[in-house]
Amino acid sequence: MLPTITVDDEKCGNPLQCRLCLLACPTRVLGLGASAAPRKYQETDPARFIVRGVRYPFCTACRKCVDVCPHGAIEVSFDQVVTA
Amino acid sequence: MRHDAEQVSWRIHFGQVVTKEEVDRIIDLIYPIGLMTCACRRSMRGLPDEENFTCMGMGPGMYKWERWPETYRGGMNFLTPDEARHVIDVLNRRGLVHCMYTFGTPYLAGICNCDYPDCGGLRTAVDMGVRVVWKGHYVAEVDADKCNGCGLCVRRCQFKALSFSPSTLKAYIDPFKCYGCGLCRNPCKPDAIEMIDRATLPALAGVW
Repeated sequence: MLPTITVDDEKCGNPLQCRLCLLACPTRVLGLGASAAPRKYQETDPARFIVRGVRYPFCTACRKCVDVCPHGAIEVSFDQVVTA
Repeated sequence: MRHDAEQVSWRIHFGQVVTKEEVDRIIDLIYPIGLMTCACRRSMRGLPDEENFTCMGMGPGMYKWERWPETYRGGMNFLTPDEARHVIDVLNRRGLVHCMYTFGTPYLAGICNCDYPDCGGLRTAVDMGVRVVWKGHYVAEVDADKCNGCGLCVRRCQFKALSFSPSTLKAYIDPFKCYGCGLCRNPCKPDAIEMIDRATLPALAGVW
């Protein structure tokens, strides 16, 4: 069962500057990218930087990223709880 | 899906682990050499550009860096071969694995200095078994007579190939997992780790 990680880009702001969630994730599930391809002679607008769940199989649903986000932009849902 | 991912990667952008000795020789063959920021660590850790100069680009394509300010974030430092060897030495002591990467196979374009889990390539290769990074031409082997069991080498392995064996009190290397980067040799005082040519071991000759 894989988790669902949603990031609200409007609330998130500039993740390259903030990067708290990237540093908090123990298994590097989150990845930083841009919502626009690199353009010739142009730097990417910081508002275009986004964080997404990338390596889902390694997510333990510890929710450290949720706790650390100052804007409450990340949600992690893990529908099925496996019990022993 | 694994097969498809490998095919795309091999066509466009994949790498192979090389030892420091090999890099030192490669540096004499390439020109220009540009030290640039690492896209993987930017993506994984959001590293600021000034802390992130660990990738070496090569060839005349490097002269075009100003056209693509986002791809070459943080700019480009052009290095002489001796400066490049010094940088490689520093990164090696930091514990980073040297890999030769293609950009548009067969064109070689970079010497990346990678670590687990912050390199996208190593992460994909080690955790998912998708061979976007190939093993090198060597396999590390422990000489049990020389090994003094200090365990310093274990932390150098980025590939989960090296462990400390409690029953022998020596280092243990899984040759099937070893990528042949040679990093484990550096802290070894008794010089107990030797790099064996992969081709001389029939069972490993095809294990890339």
